[in-house]
Amino acid sequence: MTEARPCDNLLKAAFPTILQGDTICGESSHFQVPKDLLPTITRYLHTQPNLRGRLTLIWACDHRPVRDTYGLHYLFTLDASHHWVVLSCELAGNDRRFPSITPHVHAAKWYEREIRDMFGLIPEGHPDLRRLVRHDHWPKGTHPLRKDFPWNRVLGRQQGAYHFRRIEGEGVFEVPVGPIHAGIIESGHFRFSVAGEPIMQLELRLFWKHRGVEKLFEEQTLIGAVPLAERVSGDTTVGHSLAYCQAVETLLDLQVPRRAKYLRALFLELERLYNHLGDIGAMCNDTAYALAHAHCGRMKERIMQLNDRLTGSRFLRGVIRVGGVTRDIENRQLTNLVDELNRIQQDFSEVGAIIFANASLTDRLETTGVLDEQTAWDHAVMGVVGRASGMDCDLRRDRPFAAYDELPVNVALYRYGDVRARLRVRGDEIHESIRLIREIRSKIPDGPVAIEPSCSPNPGDWTLSAVEGWRGEILYMVMAGEDGRIHRCKVRDPSFVNWPAIQWTVPGNIIPDFPLINKSFNLSYAGNDL
Amino acid sequence: MFRIIKKSLKIGVVTGQYRRAEKPALPISRKLKDNAKLFKRSLAIREVDTGSCNACEMEMNALLNPVYDAERFGIHIAASPRHADALVVTGPVTVNMERALKDVHKQTPDPKIVIALGDCAIDCGMFKGSYAVTGPVERHIPVDIRIPGCPPRPAEILEALSELRKSPV
Repeated sequence: MTEARPCDNLLKAAFPTILQGDTICGESSHFQVPKDLLPTITRYLHTQPNLRGRLTLIWACDHRPVRDTYGLHYLFTLDASHHWVVLSCELAGNDRRFPSITPHVHAAKWYEREIRDMFGLIPEGHPDLRRLVRHDHWPKGTHPLRKDFPWNRVLGRQQGAYHFRRIEGEGVFEVPVGPIHAGIIESGHFRFSVAGEPIMQLELRLFWKHRGVEKLFEEQTLIGAVPLAERVSGDTTVGHSLAYCQAVETLLDLQVPRRAKYLRALFLELERLYNHLGDIGAMCNDTAYALAHAHCGRMKERIMQLNDRLTGSRFLRGVIRVGGVTRDIENRQLTNLVDELNRIQQDFSEVGAIIFANASLTDRLETTGVLDEQTAWDHAVMGVVGRASGMDCDLRRDRPFAAYDELPVNVALYRYGDVRARLRVRGDEIHESIRLIREIRSKIPDGPVAIEPSCSPNPGDWTLSAVEGWRGEILYMVMAGEDGRIHRCKVRDPSFVNWPAIQWTVPGNIIPDFPLINKSFNLSYAGNDL
Repeated sequence: MFRIIKKSLKIGVVTGQYRRAEKPALPISRKLKDNAKLFKRSLAIREVDTGSCNACEMEMNALLNPVYDAERFGIHIAASPRHADALVVTGPVTVNMERALKDVHKQTPDPKIVIALGDCAIDCGMFKGSYAVTGPVERHIPVDIRIPGCPPRPAEILEALSELRKSPV
């Protein structure tokens, strides 16, 4: 047990009946909470001015066959200290109902719908209990993450229709878009209600690409599941595999060598670089500014070819492993890499000067798709989108992982929350990433790049791990099962949190601006749908 | 304006600055080449994502950047399946996307070519057997060309497409 923290004392003073448990991982406090107290405690955590807890994750876990219970866990990140508070409660026996916290903590909305779909647990008092992950043709009673649901079950079909929220009235039209879109992008459905040009309402229907990733994790061993983590969202290969490996390393009590930690940070920054470059180009392309798109596409391709030469994979696949990294980058290669990146930085500065000097582009970007600070806070928005709306959070600085404890990061922060702010955040982060890679080159120690795992964890042990990927916070909760297998793995891509917020940025904008707003968020459908 | 021209002159032509791919891993039959004759200098592609991890989409997008510039071969992306000559399908077919895929296939005018892009589209890859996956693309619609890889490099995609356009010997 670590010493009591102010937040622990506050919570215990306000709710004497809750029990403090052992610390799970790093900077965190853990409490056992009776189920009926959940709404009051979460509301207190969320709104108390000294705590201001941001809901970061809710996950459920089926403990059968070991114990006949379902576990529910709520993770909050405190605003000032970035300290984690985990609240746990158990539903015993046939109890399948739990009180919904959505009426007080808006960000819980999708998590609770997801738990209802995947486990069949019912959040009582939830304002919207339509199906989320399971589309309406899934048969009744199919809850895939229950332990008695076989991973390879063949699903039947039933009749069913999803009811979109409708706006009716003279001159109001519905515009359905998707699931297959006009460009080369992933599948998702958008339902717009428009009166003339401006959008009155947007409703999302996602989860078309649900592949059963979390269930597939349960069929894997702790060590062997890295390739699956890499394929949760292809453009965040390093982010996801790193978050997964860190969780497993905590469970196995592995000390990753320093050099491997630096290389991990290097790969993460390379991933951030190529994605941000591509995004800036794509945003320009959505305003029909093809020149900037071509320049950014060219630079992105340069970095991806660089990745290919360094590691043999354009997406940096297969470089992160449990215990370290699979390949060392020689110091000579690092020097070449930094030289190349310096040239790209120069190149990008010149292109940036062209982009930001373009008045018609600025006109399209400014005041388009505004996500104000309060809405961002209510949705617990994070990552690039959050930092463009004044949410000052970056795990690389707040809860350092890999080698970031020795690599101070300057966090880009804007407050306007419009498309231009999101473009500026990306632009700043490109320069910051290249600066970080230079720093990695000068600070990287010599030594081994991996350590072999030796012990196996106790079944039932679990831990949390967080990584600041290029989109935002990637969270993994891994619980060990028998024989080094996985009992439960909860994956949370930042897209899952940021998608609902996009619905609040479009009203008042016109439909032709939606692709631009969507691109400025650039969320993953695959990482969201799982 | 001067800045823009200066930049373009400084960069020059980048098209073709990539490592060439070997011959396509899976051969393309003579019959298929005969079918593809119609589209020789103009192939309109519609991309359909049925559950990929989005890496294949990124590589398809890369085909259109100045380095690969697939348009120089007359390959372009159509916004609707009704304008397409070929469907490129990525990812294992999920339970939720199955109907959409069949609809798209139905709406693409004949004659058409179906390309399964990436390991997942060919045999479901890591997601084989999952409750949420109904099988590879060819279980639902006939597949003509398979481009393996996880994901295939843009050069490999381009190589397979240009192999298709070569006249049968």
